[in-house]
Amino acid sequence: MIMITGGAFQGKTEYAKKRFSLTDSDILDGGTSQLSALKTAKCVKHYELAVKRLLGSGEDPLVFTGELCCDIVMINEIGCGIIPLEKSEREWREMTGRCGCALAERADEVVRVCCGIAEAIK
Amino acid sequence: MTLITGGSKCGKSRLAEKLLDKYTDNKFYIATMQPYGEEAFAAIERHRGLRTGKGFETIEKYTALHELTLPAGSAVLLECIANLCANEMFSADCSPDHAERIISGIEHLKNSSSELVTVSNNVGSDGINYSPETNRYIEVMGRLNARLAALADNVIECVYGVPMVLKGRL
Repeated sequence: MIMITGGAFQGKTEYAKKRFSLTDSDILDGGTSQLSALKTAKCVKHYELAVKRLLGSGEDPLVFTGELCCDIVMINEIGCGIIPLEKSEREWREMTGRCGCALAERADEVVRVCCGIAEAIK
Repeated sequence: MTLITGGSKCGKSRLAEKLLDKYTDNKFYIATMQPYGEEAFAAIERHRGLRTGKGFETIEKYTALHELTLPAGSAVLLECIANLCANEMFSADCSPDHAERIISGIEHLKNSSSELVTVSNNVGSDGINYSPETNRYIEVMGRLNARLAALADNVIECVYGVPMVLKGRL
């Protein structure tokens, strides 16, 4: 598995499309695609939003993350700010951190994209 | 001295503890989080669990780190600057010279220990405009991190558990 991370709108999807010759139909969206379909997708983007939906549905995002079989997972970095006032936002932010750590540990390669520049960090 | 920074739940503590694995005696964990509220308790319990069996003696110190006296040759893990900074700026024991007090406290720890690992946070990258008070906190944290990085031999940023060396070595 290859994990691609970075802040919002840094060029992660463009990088993945170019490097892996992906078409739009290869990429499922953690914010809108059916959750069960994510597990076997070729490429998932916005995995942080899948974490939010899993929390909302009462499913354990860490268990789900352990079952993920995609080749490429993109997850935004969302934890570098002020602790949110809203409890559910805090839970989402923390769970996204934990799921991201679990993905990075499993990943063969972790790439961070900043200003469109990709850097292999693992 | 090593500074570890990064976002929320990105493996900073785990790395910090690992860096001090080789020390067995006079190993101190300076906890700056005040145990207010259920979530703080849960976070403190979780971190205590992570440290169990790793030989740390915990010292709770929420402000004024320069007041601490440690045995010579101690190994110290200070966690974390984000809480320390909030305490120095906003708690009952706050100080108008918060930034200077934090820096001098950490310089004191650096000078009185053989190894100091400091955990901080990146809090300025969510692009949200908060109240003037919170915006000031973000500014102080950013400037503090830069000053701490200058003091440190090694600076590591954790990205979802992956350490990135920004200065020195890991």
